[in-house]
Amino acid sequence: MQTKLVWPCLFPLAIAFSVILSGCVQPSADQNIKTELLVYAASSLTEPFTEIEGAFEKANPEVDVRMVFAGSQALRLQIEQGAPADIFASANQAHMDELIRGRHIKKSRYFASNELALIVPNNNPAGVETLADLASTSLLVLGSDNVPVGAYTEQLLDRAELGLGEGFKARVQGQAVSFENNVRLVRSKVEMGEANAAIVYLTEAMSPKLKIVPMPGNLRVHIRYPVGALVGSGQPLWARRFITYLLSARGKQLLSEHLFQVSQ
Amino acid sequence: MSFQRLLSAAGGLLGLALAGLLVVPLFALAMSTSERDLVAGIAHPMFLPALFLSLKTTLISLGLTIMMGTPLAWWLASSPSRLTKPIETLIELPIVIPPAVLGVALLQTFGRQGLLGEVLWEAGVAVPFTSKAVIIVQIVVSSPFFIQAATNSFRKVDPDTLIVARTLGSSAISAFFRVVLPVSLPGVTAGVSLAWARALGEFGATLLFAGNMPGETQTMPLAIFYALESDLRLAVVFSLVLVGVAGIILAGLKSLPPLARAFTWGQP
Repeated sequence: MQTKLVWPCLFPLAIAFSVILSGCVQPSADQNIKTELLVYAASSLTEPFTEIEGAFEKANPEVDVRMVFAGSQALRLQIEQGAPADIFASANQAHMDELIRGRHIKKSRYFASNELALIVPNNNPAGVETLADLASTSLLVLGSDNVPVGAYTEQLLDRAELGLGEGFKARVQGQAVSFENNVRLVRSKVEMGEANAAIVYLTEAMSPKLKIVPMPGNLRVHIRYPVGALVGSGQPLWARRFITYLLSARGKQLLSEHLFQVSQ
Repeated sequence: MSFQRLLSAAGGLLGLALAGLLVVPLFALAMSTSERDLVAGIAHPMFLPALFLSLKTTLISLGLTIMMGTPLAWWLASSPSRLTKPIETLIELPIVIPPAVLGVALLQTFGRQGLLGEVLWEAGVAVPFTSKAVIIVQIVVSSPFFIQAATNSFRKVDPDTLIVARTLGSSAISAFFRVVLPVSLPGVTAGVSLAWARALGEFGATLLFAGNMPGETQTMPLAIFYALESDLRLAVVFSLVLVGVAGIILAGLKSLPPLARAFTWGQP
């Protein structure tokens, strides 16, 4: 009795299992073999790099570019642990320098720059009109100091102390309710209307749910994005070509469409 | 006969492989650290507040889960109502939902513009970015495990024993504590440890709903996530301590049913 009931149930399971197994064994055998280029890029580069991926693949049909987006520090950790990346594009020089020191990358080049923006939800519930207001704004969300956006925010607040008086940075940080681990997490808290204000990259501030509060020009923090090819890359030629493409007029155009600043 | 022996050998091998898969990563984690790292990690300013917050919030959420979950599980197990099945399924859904999505859902419930949040906000109660948010997340992710285990073990209680207890003059409440609970204790304790373990490890929903503030919302898993971004060794030490604390408490909970049985049997 028991066996009669059990065996018919096992058949579909066995079939499903073998399908899954066969899927694991031959993933790429069906397509004509393309060269795979693995690009590790800071999460703030998601939009322009996705477009650059498409454009580069169109120009070079024999290459399949695959993008991995995450916080620069997470990517650095993965590369240090032997991730098979061909190219690394970082949101700050510190992580790139660490990889150069660890001989994972020989040299890097800047390909774009960015700046910080003070954002509030569209309806600006706390009425933030200037950077100085942050010292008295509740529900403020900032980047954690161990991630690029947080480190740049500290630079900005340090600089602002010259005009707004000593202790401004401490007062602002005292208003923070959360120190987020990447710029997207910071932005999402304002987009969902839970935070009254936040500091993010200018390129992250373009959302119909957000409003930018202008900041004095003399406080501008220059954020530069370096890119480098991995020493251990199996595709050094294509890695170099991708970086050249990034620095070409077409690459610059795609970057500037997403508000990144590029040298002309 | 020899086929059966083959089958049991294969089963043993498969079981061993799984046990290895579960234990070896922990072992590797322990191997990758040194005594000096361990001392430095424990002395790190992030460590004690995070551990303390984790223990505090999980104990509160576990207490609330037991308090609210026990009557609910009893109702699910004993009520003749047709509603119990669909409600049981609904209650188990949070287990399936990815934690990050749960975090967004909680924001849309308790957030400033959320379903309940607007009323709460008017009343001066802010939930997101506070320890309250941490506790709410933990209850949502962990209580389904408790309710499921408790309901299943309550179902195994013979209803006749309850009737006997009642006819012998026991009140409903005392019958529950003196008849139902002793019988179902092993299952209930299993639910308690599962729920507590899930709450202690909760990360994704907390990250979104409660944010990251040392001493307020930065629990151990969040501290580990943040340490991971700056210092891998620190993250490893934090994880090991979390595993150690959880291991001690889970082992303690496992020894609870035999102890309790000895205790209740001692009663006249």
